Amino acid sequence: MSVPLKKENVPEPIAYSEAALRNNANVLEYCRTSMSALSGSTAGVLGLTALNGFAFYMFSVVILWVMFMIKAGPNWQKYYVSRQSLLTHGFLGGLCTYVLFWTFIYGMVHVY
Amino acid sequence: MAELLLDPKIRLWVFLPIVVITFLVGIVRHYVSIILSSQKKIELLQVQDSQVMIRARLLRENGKYLPRQSFAMRRHWFNNEDTGYFKVQKRTSNAQNPMTDPGMMTDMLKGNVTNVLPMIVIGGWINWMFSGFLTTKVPFPLTLRFKPMLQRGVELAYLDASWVSSASWYFLNVFGLRTIYALVLGENNAADQSKMMQEQMSGAAMAMPPDPKAAFKAQWEALEITEHRWALANVENDLLIKND
Amino acid sequence: MSFPKVLLTVGFISLFHSAFSAAQHRSYLRITSQEFTTLPLDIVIQAVGSLFAVMWGVMCIAGNLREIQAAAELNNIAWETQMNVPSFYMFNHRLRAMESSYIPTSGKGDLENLE
Repeated sequence: MSVPLKKENVPEPIAYSEAALRNNANVLEYCRTSMSALSGSTAGVLGLTALNGFAFYMFSVVILWVMFMIKAGPNWQKYYVSRQSLLTHGFLGGLCTYVLFWTFIYGMVHVY
Repeated sequence: MAELLLDPKIRLWVFLPIVVITFLVGIVRHYVSIILSSQKKIELLQVQDSQVMIRARLLRENGKYLPRQSFAMRRHWFNNEDTGYFKVQKRTSNAQNPMTDPGMMTDMLKGNVTNVLPMIVIGGWINWMFSGFLTTKVPFPLTLRFKPMLQRGVELAYLDASWVSSASWYFLNVFGLRTIYALVLGENNAADQSKMMQEQMSGAAMAMPPDPKAAFKAQWEALEITEHRWALANVENDLLIKND
Repeated sequence: MSFPKVLLTVGFISLFHSAFSAAQHRSYLRITSQEFTTLPLDIVIQAVGSLFAVMWGVMCIAGNLREIQAAAELNNIAWETQMNVPSFYMFNHRLRAMESSYIPTSGKGDLENLE
């Protein structure tokens, strides 16, 4: 026997699985860290300086986002609550890694 | 300003070794702390206490869904003057000083040994071994404010602020490689110290009240003043109305 | 080896190669005392292309996404598994008195002497 608790026009609240949310966040974190390190290295190889380098970071963040959209497929709502948080989550932490690798590879390739 | 030209040997013998050393020290620290970490012993009595506390709290919060008699019965079990759990169980108040507890003391020592000591020792060693080199140049312009931060050990007034000295390069690595540890060693690793604190905070059921006596008294008081108001008194009417 | 791992390895090697090329280019410019403006286009393309390859490889390796709706995973669980609630197990059911091997305890006093 099911009792309709809500009126028809109220959207039903969705229950999210905690473990799955955490798993997806971990996947995202993994990709975000790798992406920061790799794109930092690439920026160092290319010898980007000043604003160009930060623009490259933005660029790679967007590219990662697009890749996630491709991976998740058209019904991304099955995997993530919001698309915006996918873009902004861990932005500054990634920037820190990015700057370190950028400096490192830039020093290795271009300074000496 | 004329471009400085660094000797390529600095790259091979200073710049690269600092990165490698910092990274490997982080890895070693992770495994050493795994070796040193002692499994925390949980006393049966403490687990019992914490579970009783959870049950008392649940009764207070959700007791309105129980009939009055059932609620009174449960409260009686906790609060009765002669036989109630909170009255019968005499816990000694052991609000202990962490300094006097030897187990706590060794834990703190181990934490220091694995976290602070390598930082100081390796930092001092790198400062001594690789002192006075300019290692690299950050690829973005910085203001003069960053000079003392980035050029520790090289005090040249006319040097551009974006050059980085060896000691500062070490510290940049220490702080910047944290996320890489998370990548390499998996989540919740020991090299990442901020995570450890969070872990200690969570785990509510395992967390013992530091002073069971006071906690029992507080729960007893809270239960005493809880007023039973049955939430399901009109449940049949509500159901019928909704099903119309 | 699976395809993402091959992609990852090749991408890494290619990225390292482009880094070495860039370093060579830089030292060549320094020897011939020319001014550095930009890298040659082929190094840039190689670096960016290998970056994409490695990123895609990492993303394939990072693991599968799980569906976050709680119902999605519960749908796959059998009814028997779902109704298995250990907290409600009962080991002292009165029906055991029907068992042929059942020996009744004589009184409550025995229960207290058991331990």
